[in-house]
Amino acid sequence: MQKLNSNDLLMLAGSFHGMHAITKQLCPNPPVPPAFSAPAANLAPSPFTHRPTGIEVLETSQFRMQCFQTITGIKFLLFTEPQQPNIDTTMKKIYELYADFVMKNPFYTVEMPIRCEKFDRALDGFIKLRG
Amino acid sequence: MVLYSFYIFDRHSTSTYSNPAAIARSLSAPTPPPSSFSKTPRPASTSSTLSSTPAARAHASDSEKLIFGLVFSLRNMVHKLGGTDDTFLSYRTAEYKLHYYETPTRMKFVMLTDTKLNNLRPYLHQIWANLYVEYVVKNPLAPVEHPGGIGVANELFERALELFVSTALPA
Repeated sequence: MQKLNSNDLLMLAGSFHGMHAITKQLCPNPPVPPAFSAPAANLAPSPFTHRPTGIEVLETSQFRMQCFQTITGIKFLLFTEPQQPNIDTTMKKIYELYADFVMKNPFYTVEMPIRCEKFDRALDGFIKLRG
Repeated sequence: MVLYSFYIFDRHSTSTYSNPAAIARSLSAPTPPPSSFSKTPRPASTSSTLSSTPAARAHASDSEKLIFGLVFSLRNMVHKLGGTDDTFLSYRTAEYKLHYYETPTRMKFVMLTDTKLNNLRPYLHQIWANLYVEYVVKNPLAPVEHPGGIGVANELFERALELFVSTALPA
């Protein structure tokens, strides 16, 4: 992988956001909401489950990119080797770390770059443990 | 498997061939939902009921442009991230998968299928090497460039493509 400066990264993030939206729009068979049934009538219908998802996995000859989007719209991008197993569980764990160390940090302002030392350390430790 | 659509783009970003309906129906899988972007370049096509309305045709060319723009930027992003010898192979969403193959002459072969298939790059390469080169490039009557599918939409190529899709592709 190439080392990129933060300007390039911002540019890529912006274009990825657009591409993610386009892949959603291109969906040839939009998921259909389930038929109305009696037990489900008690629950409010979720507006999130029956929407096409955007890119989830991007494969190239040298790396593999996994994109995980939370319900609130935050995207986690994980770049791995093409043959890396168990990416889903890794992603889930990272999401947990994010929730624990970033969202529960009272000094973190949402939608700002993450500068939480504890999160960095926990993430490093977790990745090293798996590697 | 379900094949939703297949596109060929030349290096000038014009779609030279796109065929969602004709090959999709030749597959064994549950009938795919009628592709809203159904455009066949051959005027006297049997499956042109959808494409005959101007709205459907406009939608077809819209998705063509979207797909071209998308693979173009994905390819550029991959080059930026992985270096110039890295190639973009495919992406997957929860609903479909897009396979991509680019020849050295910058022709782009794009196929949209369901998510169960592994990488179709070797098959796309075969379509280029065995069908496109054989029936389009070697056709003395075909023009060099193919705006709007002229020359690519010949019967031999289409029939061979249909046969290839229904027999060679993994089920």
